Amino acid sequence: MSFLFGRRPRTNTVDLPKQAKEQISKLDGPGAAAKAEELAKTLGQMKFVLQGTQETESSPEQIYSLVTGMIQEDLLYLLAFNLYRLPFESRKDAQVIFSYVLRFRPPSASPKSEPMALSYVINNRPEVLVELCNGYNHTESAAPAGTVLREVLKSDAATAIILYHDPSEGSPGAKGLTGIQPEARQSGRGVFWKFFDWIDRGSFDLSADAFNTFRDLLTKHKTIVAQYLSTNFDLFFSKYNTMLVQSQNYVTKRQSIKLLGEILLDRANYAVMTAYVDRGEHLKICMNLLRDARKMVQYEGFHVFKVFVANPHKSIAVQKILLINRDKLLEFLRHFLEDRTEDEQFIDEREFLIKQIRNMPPTPVEPAQKPALLGSQAR
Amino acid sequence: MSIEAGASQYTVLHELGSGSFGTVYKAIDKTTGEIVAIKHIDLESTDEDIQDIQSEISILSSCTSPYVTQYKASFLRGHKLWIVMEFLGGGPAWTCGRYTNILQLKPGNLNEAHVAIICRELLLGLEYLHQEGKIHRDVKAANVLLSTSGKVKLADFGVATQLTNIKSQRNTFVGTPYWMAPEVIQEAGYDYKADIWSLGITALELINGGPPHADVHPMKVLFLIPKQSAPRLEGSQYSKEFRDFIAQCLVKDCDRRPSAKELLRHKFIRSAGKVEALQELIERRQLWDGARDRPSHPKYYEETLHTMSPKNDPDEWVFDTVKKATIAARKNTTKRRKLSVIHANGQGLVSGAEDALMRLDIRDAPLDYSSPPPATIIRGTVRRQPSVILASPTKPRQASSQRRPLQPDMSFGNSASTVRVFRRVSDNSTTAQVESDLTAPATRDENRPPMAETVTKDAILGRRVFNKVIDPSFQEVQAQTGNQAKRDALSRLADAWSALDAVDPEGEYQLMKLLLEKVQNDSKLSVHLSPTKSTSRDGTPQASPQKSGAKLILAQNNPHLKSHRRRQSSIMPEEAKEKEKLPNLPGQAVPGMEHTKQLADVLYGRWAGGLRNRWPAV
Repeated sequence: MSFLFGRRPRTNTVDLPKQAKEQISKLDGPGAAAKAEELAKTLGQMKFVLQGTQETESSPEQIYSLVTGMIQEDLLYLLAFNLYRLPFESRKDAQVIFSYVLRFRPPSASPKSEPMALSYVINNRPEVLVELCNGYNHTESAAPAGTVLREVLKSDAATAIILYHDPSEGSPGAKGLTGIQPEARQSGRGVFWKFFDWIDRGSFDLSADAFNTFRDLLTKHKTIVAQYLSTNFDLFFSKYNTMLVQSQNYVTKRQSIKLLGEILLDRANYAVMTAYVDRGEHLKICMNLLRDARKMVQYEGFHVFKVFVANPHKSIAVQKILLINRDKLLEFLRHFLEDRTEDEQFIDEREFLIKQIRNMPPTPVEPAQKPALLGSQAR
Repeated sequence: MSIEAGASQYTVLHELGSGSFGTVYKAIDKTTGEIVAIKHIDLESTDEDIQDIQSEISILSSCTSPYVTQYKASFLRGHKLWIVMEFLGGGPAWTCGRYTNILQLKPGNLNEAHVAIICRELLLGLEYLHQEGKIHRDVKAANVLLSTSGKVKLADFGVATQLTNIKSQRNTFVGTPYWMAPEVIQEAGYDYKADIWSLGITALELINGGPPHADVHPMKVLFLIPKQSAPRLEGSQYSKEFRDFIAQCLVKDCDRRPSAKELLRHKFIRSAGKVEALQELIERRQLWDGARDRPSHPKYYEETLHTMSPKNDPDEWVFDTVKKATIAARKNTTKRRKLSVIHANGQGLVSGAEDALMRLDIRDAPLDYSSPPPATIIRGTVRRQPSVILASPTKPRQASSQRRPLQPDMSFGNSASTVRVFRRVSDNSTTAQVESDLTAPATRDENRPPMAETVTKDAILGRRVFNKVIDPSFQEVQAQTGNQAKRDALSRLADAWSALDAVDPEGEYQLMKLLLEKVQNDSKLSVHLSPTKSTSRDGTPQASPQKSGAKLILAQNNPHLKSHRRRQSSIMPEEAKEKEKLPNLPGQAVPGMEHTKQLADVLYGRWAGGLRNRWPAV
């Protein structure tokens, strides 16, 4: 494969980031098209340095100097910020570059250590992650940014950065991981909250990609998320219920009901779950899902509904709703999704719910146990 | 809403076939006039995770290569997902190799030169994918599409995967058994070389008409492939280069198996001809399509409205006051899904071979030549089913909600599942029909005489009548008819008519002529009918002018027509036949249809029997 090296223009690896930075800065000016082409070439070379080919290995020394160069030139931020303006192939190249750079550890570093570029981003340049999220502002950049993000979200620190990003908290400066205050409630202006809009309003591709990232944010790092949801319970679930669960978009609706079930049934989120099923208005939303015209929505709704009914410490509000509708519910559940004849677990669970509802005391009873108190809730 | 705007940009024409997990329609992009293929996926009928579909889309959308089917757009319309792809007129390469074997048509064989060209193009496609860090994982002739100009494109990225690191590996057990590389089956970790193995099998498939072990049950194949020595191309009629190429692709040790790039330098590939040489295959295919019995009426796009209609349920839940009410029993049908999908932390994907095997046994039986390409594993059993599946084109449509879980899979077994065969093909409506291969060879020798040669002037006119008048009229009326029963009746009539067209275009022409004459001769009718459509006077489906004409014939005893009729008596039997058929359409079985049903039953029975013998435990 040596001929490949022969043909490659001999730009010094160290100069590539600088070159790319310059080319990006000229994307606006005259001759932007030509600059974009040059930039595409530069990014192609960077990709080549990073990943080698199927036949040739990449050299760690070269990668190291490239990564340090990128950090020096703040190229990660520039790339993330301008991702949507790059040509099609360059966006994919940028995605590859991000993936490799954010994963790279010098050969001397411990395999458990934070990759150097990622550690830099987390501690000094969190805006890179924010701008990657903002990639969902444009169809062009959504998929490459999303791919990079989901990779990065394997890191709990990166997840925390995105969850806790909040521009309204003082200067939007680079506080990084150290600036996070988990107890402070979110204003709702941080980048995480934009996901609701992206998921609800975007085109299918964009919305589905954003949802995948959203799901990763909420399921990958359980302790962080449990704390986050407890603190921001009202804000989160009011947005979640109105924008996602009751979305007009079929995919958004169905996927978010399913994710809601997953979140509630996760042991780490026990406190969140008890608080969620304590609320009468949540049960109302859920019971309406059972009546949705679309069966898969009904089915996903069922798996949230069962949590309310199975809860041994139902709140007065929940009991009232169930009791008022008891006869209806019993009749309804008897015929609910009756074609699902092979789904034994579903049938069992449906039977269980019928029994539970039938055996409820005729008047609401004060629950023996209140939901675990959530940090911030004004109840 | 921007989502809706997406759909209105396209005019959907007619069905091309049922693809890997949806129904594919031919459509026109109104803004550009470009013809596209649109896959409709009914998300309500899939239990599987929407994520899987999305991952296919995201892989497709990141590909721009002349060797890969071009993705254009996707959007939601209610609970249907529309995926817009480029339209290729030639159909799957699968069909080229297979026809010859099904029916020994001569000269129909794909020869070595064809295979060389296809292999080179596929290698270029694979080279592209692999350098992008993608593994296709389901390379087989059924997933190779030909364009009318002879271009070869890889399609169906349903199980493709994107590696984030070019050197990383995958363990997931996916693919279609006969084409699967040993390392994939053994789940020992594999990379892009797995596609090279599948390519070798595909080459064998193209030249032999089927993959190795095609007569073996797919479950058993999974044991054979790792255990036996790699298949080779046998026969002195093939060149040394070809045999060596296959041997190179089918090196069992994936580390010693060459990459796509290396294989592109293989002598067999370097000496391959131009893609234009493939055009003859497509032409031959179209001839072949034309030569078999006339495909029945195309299935037109119809929007499912009933599922999306807003629910006006008087029995709302009561959240405030107590109110006595009963709720009507609801009839719900649905697909099951493993509940574990919900509870587990997103572990919805099947990864174990055992799981895949369990899914496998009910749906895949040994390949025989009349069978479709076997389904790709990992797809759930449900997702493969298009929302509106027709066992044969003459059967009435069934709404997806009427289907019982699993039924289509079970009852069609290996035979009629051909309907689901990937056929995104063809560029004219006559060859674009989806006709199950089951009905095709069978009806050839029995019910339906072979298509008449269109030689006489009348016959040519008859064909023209069908193509220009009858066919479009049915389309139009079909599109305007909302009632399902009426639609069914109408499509049966359309089928009957197209059968007539196939058998006797001359008679068809005469019939048409008569109809028009009679309409014109009746003073009242000519006033009403000549310019525009008739109005419905009874409960029968609202039909095209021709249909009303047909009714008129039955009713008319206009004396001054009698002489005319006598003059035309030679063609009367034909007309009489039509007469018999027309009045009581809804209940009547159109010839060919009950036959199809019987055949499907027999084949299914045989298949099931074979399965029991081979797998007594199943």
